[in-house]
Formats: sequence, structure tokens, C-alpha cells
Amino acid sequence: MERTDAEAELSRLRQAIDRVDDVIVKLLNQRAKYAVEIGEIKGVLDLPIYAPEREKDVLSHVERASEGPLQPAAMRRLFERIIDESRRVEREASR
Amino acid sequence: MVIVMEKHAADASIEHVVAELSTRGFDVHRSTGSDQTILGVVGNVATIDPREFELMEGVQEVVRISEPFKLVSRTFRREKTVVDARGVKIGGDDVVVMAGPCTIENETQVFETARRVARAGARVLRGGAYKPRTSPYAFQGMGVEGLKILRAAGDEFNMATISEVMEIGQIEGMLEYVDILQVGARNMQNFNLLSALGQIRKPILLKRGMSATIQEWLLAAEYIMSGGNYDVILCERGIRTFETYTRNTLDISAIPVIDKLSHLPIIADPSHAVGRRDKVMPLARAIVAAGADGLLIEVHHDPDKAVCDGPQSLFPDQFARLMDELKIIVPAVGRRL
Repeated sequence: MERTDAEAELSRLRQAIDRVDDVIVKLLNQRAKYAVEIGEIKGVLDLPIYAPEREKDVLSHVERASEGPLQPAAMRRLFERIIDESRRVEREASR
Repeated sequence: MVIVMEKHAADASIEHVVAELSTRGFDVHRSTGSDQTILGVVGNVATIDPREFELMEGVQEVVRISEPFKLVSRTFRREKTVVDARGVKIGGDDVVVMAGPCTIENETQVFETARRVARAGARVLRGGAYKPRTSPYAFQGMGVEGLKILRAAGDEFNMATISEVMEIGQIEGMLEYVDILQVGARNMQNFNLLSALGQIRKPILLKRGMSATIQEWLLAAEYIMSGGNYDVILCERGIRTFETYTRNTLDISAIPVIDKLSHLPIIADPSHAVGRRDKVMPLARAIVAAGADGLLIEVHHDPDKAVCDGPQSLFPDQFARLMDELKIIVPAVGRRL
């Protein structure tokens, strides 16, 4: 690959990542909206925000769903952060 | 705050810690490693007693990231606090020297000492009216009569005044005569006294307890500030170490450490630290060179006849010589005298 071709390809791939990020952000917010609703329901039912069994299910679900190249453990780490933030929005919504 | 779980801690143990944090309203950032899990705790962690979590099953260690103090912290206020005591600014560009006798004995002694130290450049006049003596049989101080002499001498030589307060009952009577109230090393953790001093609006000089860590000292200052009195000056005065040659060991390193951690002015007292006159001058030079905002030095017009701490009091001539030396050091560290 020529240097100029490589540079063009790099720029194209970066634009592709930007487009994927846009979708991820939209989906994360869609997920957060559900978390807000769950938080409100937990407030009504007086349920704890932290639901360890449910978190385990979510994590093993995404581990199984991952087809690579991300390893299951990597997917788990990413989703741990997503769950951390979900707990936060649920807590705010439950008040 | 970070909670480090033991290697291969059981899921149930981790869940218990997360559940406890969650119930108390903290956000948790869970990070699972290959064999060890770390929990980041977000929220007002100052209210947590780390020991509670250290005792939980599967917890290896609890590490505080943020300081337990707030108002005294540089994080709370970036700019240095400048305390104004009757026009004398402590914590600004000037290095402020406070000098005078350990104990107020009589008018001649205070006026003669004040005249000499004022001429040499001291801006604040010190003198004890209530003395915390190690022995109950030692001279206990002149009380309000002594404070009147201190005030008169301060006015005569245009100096602010500083004197030690030992108990809550003395505070009100001192306000009329004293511009800075000093809390002695032995009272640094007298929390009732500190809280009472938080209610007044006069500068407080808080000496470091002789066995106090820097954190304990800053938390003591936090007591005063949490009452609303933000004019606190910290004073290093030596700590207990294994060394017996000097009375205490002056912790010079406390000066840059405090300057980093806190916005409060930091000064030091070389007289009580070493307890020997011949060691006071080199220490005073080192204190100023280390970046302190001031000095608190004992000077007696006739130390050999002093009723208290004579051996650590400088002669007025020695004090004047020290001030001449400081005039060379102070500009070298970017300050004024």
C-alpha cells in the first residue's frame, strides 16, 4: 500500500469509527432511558437499586453474545462500567 | 476512596460490599481484574469510616484518595489565605515576625522587650497571660492584668498582639486586648475549645500538638473553620522524636507539606522546638528559607531573670542580629520582611 493510500485508508477507518460511536452513544442513551424507568419502578416498589443477580445475568449475557475480536472478559469490563452508570441513573430516578 | 478486594474474593463478598455502598447512596465503579476486583467509591466519602469496610469479608484494603479535611484544603481554596491582625497581614508577601516574652511578668519587662523587638522589625508582640505549665507549682500567669500590659505595649510600639487561650472561659475577656488568640500544642485537640474559637471573628494561631500528625493538625484547624472562623494560622513548634538533645525536633518538612495541602498561613516557633537559645537562630533561618509565612520567637529583655523558659529566650541584641540575617534570606525566597 502506498503511503498516500494508507493515509486515506486511516482517515476512512476513523470516520467509520466515528459513525459507529454515534450509534453506540444513541444505544447507550436508549439503554439509560430504560434504566431511568426501572429506577422509577424500583422507587415505587421500594426495591434496592443494586441487584447483584441481575447484574450477573447481564454480564454473562454479553460475554456469551460477544463474537470477537473482543474477548468475553473485555466485554465484561466494558459492561461493568455501563452498569456502574446505570445504577447511578436508576438511583437518581428512584428518588 | 478505593476498596481493594482480596485476590479471588468470593462473589458474595464483593456483592456484600457493593450492596452496602449502594444502600448508603454511593456510586460504585467496579473493576474486575484477572484475579482481583477493585471498587471505586464515588460520593461524599468523608463520612465513611474506612475501618467498617476493612472488616468486611474479602476486603484487602481501603485506600482514601481524597483528604478527610475540606475547608483547610487547597482543593477548597486555591489562593493562599491572608490573615489580617490589626493591619498586619500574615500569609501575604511579607514574612511576619512575632516576638516577645514567654510570660508577661511586669510592665517594665514587656515594654522594654517590645521596644527592642519592634525596633528590630517584629510586627506582632507575644506574651502569655495564662500559662500551661507542666508543673502545677510553676508560675501560672498574670491573667487579665497581664493582657492589659501587653495591649498597652502593643499600642505604644504599633504592634499587633498575640496571647495563648487555654480554656473557653478566657476567650471573651481576651478579645479586648489580643489580636491573635493562640492555641497551644497541648490544646490542639481540645475540640470544645476549638469549636468555641470557631464562633468568634478573630485570628487564631493553632500550634501543632507535639505528637500530632499533619492530618490531625489540619483536622483541628478544620474544627475552627467549620464554625465559620476562617482566619487560622498554623504554627509548627517541634514534635516528639527519639532525640533527647533538643527538647523537640522541629519538623521543617511540615512547612512545604502544609503549603501544598492547605491555603492557611504556616509559621514556626523555633524557641519551643529546641528549648535552647543557641539553637534558635539557625532554626529561625531554616524556617524562613523553607518558605514559612512567619516566625514566633521568644525574646526577653533579661532572659537570665525570666520566670519561664529563660534558657530558650533570645537576648534583644541576638534578636536584632537574627533580623539582619533574615533580611538577606527573605528576598532569596521571593518574600519581603
